[in-house]
Amino acid sequence: MSSFSRSAQQWATFARSWFLIDARQQPPGKIATMCSVRLQGKHKPIYHALSDCGDHVVVINTKHIAFSGNKWEQKVYSSHTGYPGGFKQVTAAQLHQKDPKAIVKLAVYGMLPRNLARRTMMQRLHIFPDDELPEDIRANITEELQQPREIPRRLSEYTQEEIDAFPRLWTPPEDYKMK
Amino acid sequence: MKAYTYLMAKKLKLEGPSPPKPRSQQPHWDHHAEVQAFSSRLHENFSLEVLKTAFINPCYLQAEHRRRQGLAVGAEATALALEDNVQLRERGESFTRSFLTDWCRASFPVLPSDGVESVAGHLAGSEVVTYVARNLGVDDLAMSADCPVPDDVLHSTFMAVVGALLESSGPERTGLFLRDFLGPQLIGKDLFDMWTVVNPMGLLVEELTKRNVALPEPRLIRAAGASTVLPLYFVGLYSNKKLLAQGPGETLAAAEEEAARVALRILYGYTENRRPLDFSPLQQHQQPLIQSISSN
Repeated sequence: MSSFSRSAQQWATFARSWFLIDARQQPPGKIATMCSVRLQGKHKPIYHALSDCGDHVVVINTKHIAFSGNKWEQKVYSSHTGYPGGFKQVTAAQLHQKDPKAIVKLAVYGMLPRNLARRTMMQRLHIFPDDELPEDIRANITEELQQPREIPRRLSEYTQEEIDAFPRLWTPPEDYKMK
Repeated sequence: MKAYTYLMAKKLKLEGPSPPKPRSQQPHWDHHAEVQAFSSRLHENFSLEVLKTAFINPCYLQAEHRRRQGLAVGAEATALALEDNVQLRERGESFTRSFLTDWCRASFPVLPSDGVESVAGHLAGSEVVTYVARNLGVDDLAMSADCPVPDDVLHSTFMAVVGALLESSGPERTGLFLRDFLGPQLIGKDLFDMWTVVNPMGLLVEELTKRNVALPEPRLIRAAGASTVLPLYFVGLYSNKKLLAQGPGETLAAAEEEAARVALRILYGYTENRRPLDFSPLQQHQQPLIQSISSN
């Protein structure tokens, strides 16, 4: 790390990385914070708001994001067309149906600083609803980031040995009727 | 007052800045006092006549001779009773070179001979010596035909001063003087700034075969933006599946070369996190510097 030549060290310090995040079964808010931190360049010790030191972030599988609670039905995305009577409100589920990329995009947009650099940072965010990436983006990727939420396993994904090894919490009485 | 300053500013704008005058021709100059001050400033015991001779350059003598002939005073009066610093310079230069080579070899025992020569050559070369000389005040004391003192004249004056020190105090003190003033110029300098190596990979292969280590195998460790115009590749060199060094680069070839250079720096012990060089003052009971080097 320390014994690089000056030009090589400078090139490596100021190069733009490409991060990959898999949004499968992840809350879009947590995905968006990770994206916004890296798009601004706040994960680097050389950060400055005017330095244009942000990196690229590629988010895949946004079709499979998972809101917690009842947000699919309760979270409302509002917009106005500019014309009278043009105030539109859609629930998160409807918006996701219409455009699977919009929720992540709006979440990241809201988390970036409200300055002229925001649009440039949004251009460096690449969102894909599923696993397929174009070849050039796939070639650019540096590393994959760890998912923010640990995905819980379904009962069908546990092996019979693990189920048997789990300690029995209570023994039901003889005449207990299981539903 | 205001009118005067305006006029002087206008004159400056018309004619440009005045040519630099040597410090000896500016007011309040006492050559003997300055030479004494130079000697005590460096905490050295110079013999003052030798030191005064060391500051007199042949170009100054020629210029003086021509000036006196131009005044048409007469052959006896034109003879200057001053000696040149040429012999002192030669002695100083040869001693500097040999001392610096020995000191570099002692500080970096693994560095091969052309590396040592390049480092010593850089330290004894024009750039470093003129920088040190200007900051020690040698350019004010040096007598030369032009002003400001040109680099090669300043270099020879400094070498003559070293020669004078050699005559006055002996090789040990001169060695310590050179180590203390030229040695710190290595701080912050990279090995390959001073030593141009055209094929670092070939040199690395040679070094590893000498030490009976497996040949380096380059592998791509990280890549970023491969299909953009500003790619970055980190290539690591593995010998026998163990990492020797890794280096970044704009292209794969550049990254591999950088990794080879980093490996060479680690092998020769010239990394940035190496143990700092020893500049401690010479104690009485310590073995003198030059003798310990020649016994290696």
